[in-house]
Amino acid sequence: MADLLTSTAPRDEGLDGTPGGGGRRRLGAPLARLVLTRVLASVAVLWGAVTATFFLLELMHGNTVDVLLAQSQAGPEVRAEIISRYHLDDPLPVRYFAYLGRVLRGDFGESYMLRKPVWQAITEQLPDTLVLVATTVLTTVVASVLFAALSATRRRSLRSVVAAVESLVVAVPPFWLGLVLLTVFSFWLHWFPAIGSSAPAGLVLPTIALAAGPVAVTTRVLREGMVRALDEPFVMTARTRGISEPAVRLRHTLRHALLPATALLGWISGSLIGGAIIIETVFSRRGMGRLVLSAVQNRDMPVVIGIVLVAATTFVIITVLVDILTWFIDPRTRT
Amino acid sequence: MTAVAVGAVLALAASCAGGSQTSADGGTPRDGGTLNLAIGREPNCLDPHQSPSAAARVVSRPIVDSLVYQDRKGAIKPWLASRWTIAEDRKAYTFTLRDDVRFTDGAPFDAAAVVANLEHIVAPKTKSLLAASLIASYESSRAIDAHTVEVRLSEPSSSLLDVLATPNLGMESPATLTRSNDALCATIVGTGPFASPGGYRQQQGIEYVRNRDYAWAPAGLGHTGPARLDGIRIRVASDNSARYGALSSGQVDAITTLSPVNLRELRTADGFHLFSVPFPGIPYSYFPNTASGVLADVGVRKAFRAGIDWAQIVKNVYFGVYPSARGVLTSTTLGYDRSQESAYAYNPTEAARLLDQAGWTGRDAKGYRTKNGARLTLRHLWSDPSIEDLAVQVQAAAKELGIEIVEENIDEGTYVDRILSADYELADTNFASPGPEVLKVLYGSANVPSPTRGLANNISRYASGALDKLFLQAAASESVTDRLRIYGQAQRQLTADAAVFPIYSPLSTVAARSGVRDVTFDIDGSPSFYDTWLTS
Repeated sequence: MADLLTSTAPRDEGLDGTPGGGGRRRLGAPLARLVLTRVLASVAVLWGAVTATFFLLELMHGNTVDVLLAQSQAGPEVRAEIISRYHLDDPLPVRYFAYLGRVLRGDFGESYMLRKPVWQAITEQLPDTLVLVATTVLTTVVASVLFAALSATRRRSLRSVVAAVESLVVAVPPFWLGLVLLTVFSFWLHWFPAIGSSAPAGLVLPTIALAAGPVAVTTRVLREGMVRALDEPFVMTARTRGISEPAVRLRHTLRHALLPATALLGWISGSLIGGAIIIETVFSRRGMGRLVLSAVQNRDMPVVIGIVLVAATTFVIITVLVDILTWFIDPRTRT
Repeated sequence: MTAVAVGAVLALAASCAGGSQTSADGGTPRDGGTLNLAIGREPNCLDPHQSPSAAARVVSRPIVDSLVYQDRKGAIKPWLASRWTIAEDRKAYTFTLRDDVRFTDGAPFDAAAVVANLEHIVAPKTKSLLAASLIASYESSRAIDAHTVEVRLSEPSSSLLDVLATPNLGMESPATLTRSNDALCATIVGTGPFASPGGYRQQQGIEYVRNRDYAWAPAGLGHTGPARLDGIRIRVASDNSARYGALSSGQVDAITTLSPVNLRELRTADGFHLFSVPFPGIPYSYFPNTASGVLADVGVRKAFRAGIDWAQIVKNVYFGVYPSARGVLTSTTLGYDRSQESAYAYNPTEAARLLDQAGWTGRDAKGYRTKNGARLTLRHLWSDPSIEDLAVQVQAAAKELGIEIVEENIDEGTYVDRILSADYELADTNFASPGPEVLKVLYGSANVPSPTRGLANNISRYASGALDKLFLQAAASESVTDRLRIYGQAQRQLTADAAVFPIYSPLSTVAARSGVRDVTFDIDGSPSFYDTWLTS
């Protein structure tokens, strides 16, 4: 995570074979190289994710078949049938390589619990989660830029008040915030539906609950960058040219603050699937969060690994996007 | 996390309810309207042939009918089968079917359909987690003519009709049974009062529309003919507060499974109505490990039973809503033996005497009893985190007695491991089930969990040849009276051996706005919406 937080585009000089270093470079080639190296690294990341999940689940207590049958009155015959059907008694390395082979062929197997192909179970739930994550990211971007621009002041006292509010918001557990939002805006005021709505109105409260923490953190990072930039000579120059204060902030100082905030946002977006577990439960929304929760509880290995792969892929795509974005924001990273 | 039992999940989440079951709520029933219902637990699969969960029974029952109907008193009545005969050796049952029944896909219900359903249930490909073991003695079935079907068993069974009455043995349209397991987990087609063309969507719910041709409801329900509701919309809302808030703010008409706190609020709130019924079966109980550890000593078990004021604890924790249990079965279960209730009375003096007698005479610095320097400690594995309030009070009461209870709230995998390896003194659960046959599931020696047997429900690890023999006799008994008499004997043996510490009878509850009328319950405690109507 640490390297993601400070991530900038790869700056491996050895890869930069462009001749005539002094001249103006075409932008296309380095960008393509950036994407290529990232994609190659991603494959390694995905393999690591599958492997780690596989073995971590193996380390968990209990065995799959007994947890699976915990709610049933199934006799020994059914138990034996399930063990042989899912090859649960094969040695660990055999199961690992068999699984890896299937994943490479795009076959994620069948869910023990839901009795359907993992890919189907995931694609049924994925759109709802993606929509929630997308609205959350959008809210985070808009709200944090707005709040940062408003609160970027050199007055220390005001800044510390705002910082205290942010700390409070970050400290509030999302499920508690979700319940408070539900109670006030759904149960009392009847503005929004409480459970399981896929209509746009049903997205408002979950988005606020999920975005609150990221907004607070991103605002702080943005503001600190802006405050630092406000002391730079070019701001003085801009002001002397008579540029309005909002324009100074949004056009000049914001750009300097964007770099760390973009990297941070990339990491936040990737981790939102984790946050969605709680929010989806509180708001009774469909989604990957609830799927992974029940899959882990039931040791439904194929589903867990499938979800980890999807989450890791999302994470990787976002990281690459962030790198590309960084590349555009900051010319220094284009070497 | 899940306990060993089917019922545990439902009942623990259900947590209490007040008032009595209300049927025939007054007013003239009117047709129409859609009932919006939020449920707490979702099934992993809609198909009752495959799924073992109570949630699956609730959501599939509106769609599937059964061959026979079992009323709340346990009596078996005609349903899709209008009559039946049982062979002398009780190894063959011959059913005469109604000839006017159609599945909602238009297919006729006939003898071939019954054969197709039974064969589907027992087919290994179906991987049935409950239904197949309910008819474990099934051997074959054949259509004698279009509306007569014979079912043959490998050994005599006196409870086949009870089992056939459950939704798990419900009748689905034969054409649909060739579909894949996962297709059936989403959509099933039956002959029931409702149909669900859209089927069940994971984490979302299910919508039903009325079957307008329905004319074969079992006798004895509130009405005949099609259901009164136009439709039912069930949504899944697993969070207790959200579900309760959705009801109290009028966003849904009804919810299932209330927390004790919400229930207390609702009892005094205007505009709401509570439908509830005790689950039949095994009460919520603490089960001692009778095979190893300190509770292998029957004297210590009897002391623990007598030395704790279970009824008072239930009153404290559940606001007097749950009836406390004084028997191996809940008092509403078919064949409940009332004569044993006095054995479950609170008697601390007797408890102290029994502990002295068992050799636990020493006391350590903390006041716990000791024997040969070892403290009297019981490790209690939690079935579910929601039992905390109860567990803490039992722990405090046991301390008075000089017994230390170590509470272990562990993850499901560890729980399974500990149960398999007998590494506990106490475990808790309950088990909803219509009849006394459930005793075999919980106390039959074949159902003691072990690494080779796998997880099973005899967590008392009670293995008695005499009891196993009683179960065999009951299965082969000639009449219902005989069968219940034998199960009475079984209850007396389990009480005499203090094989269980019954605590309370869980209730199945539906809370609704007051415009919702006539929610009833099936014998297994599942709510039924066939008679339900809306005043507005």
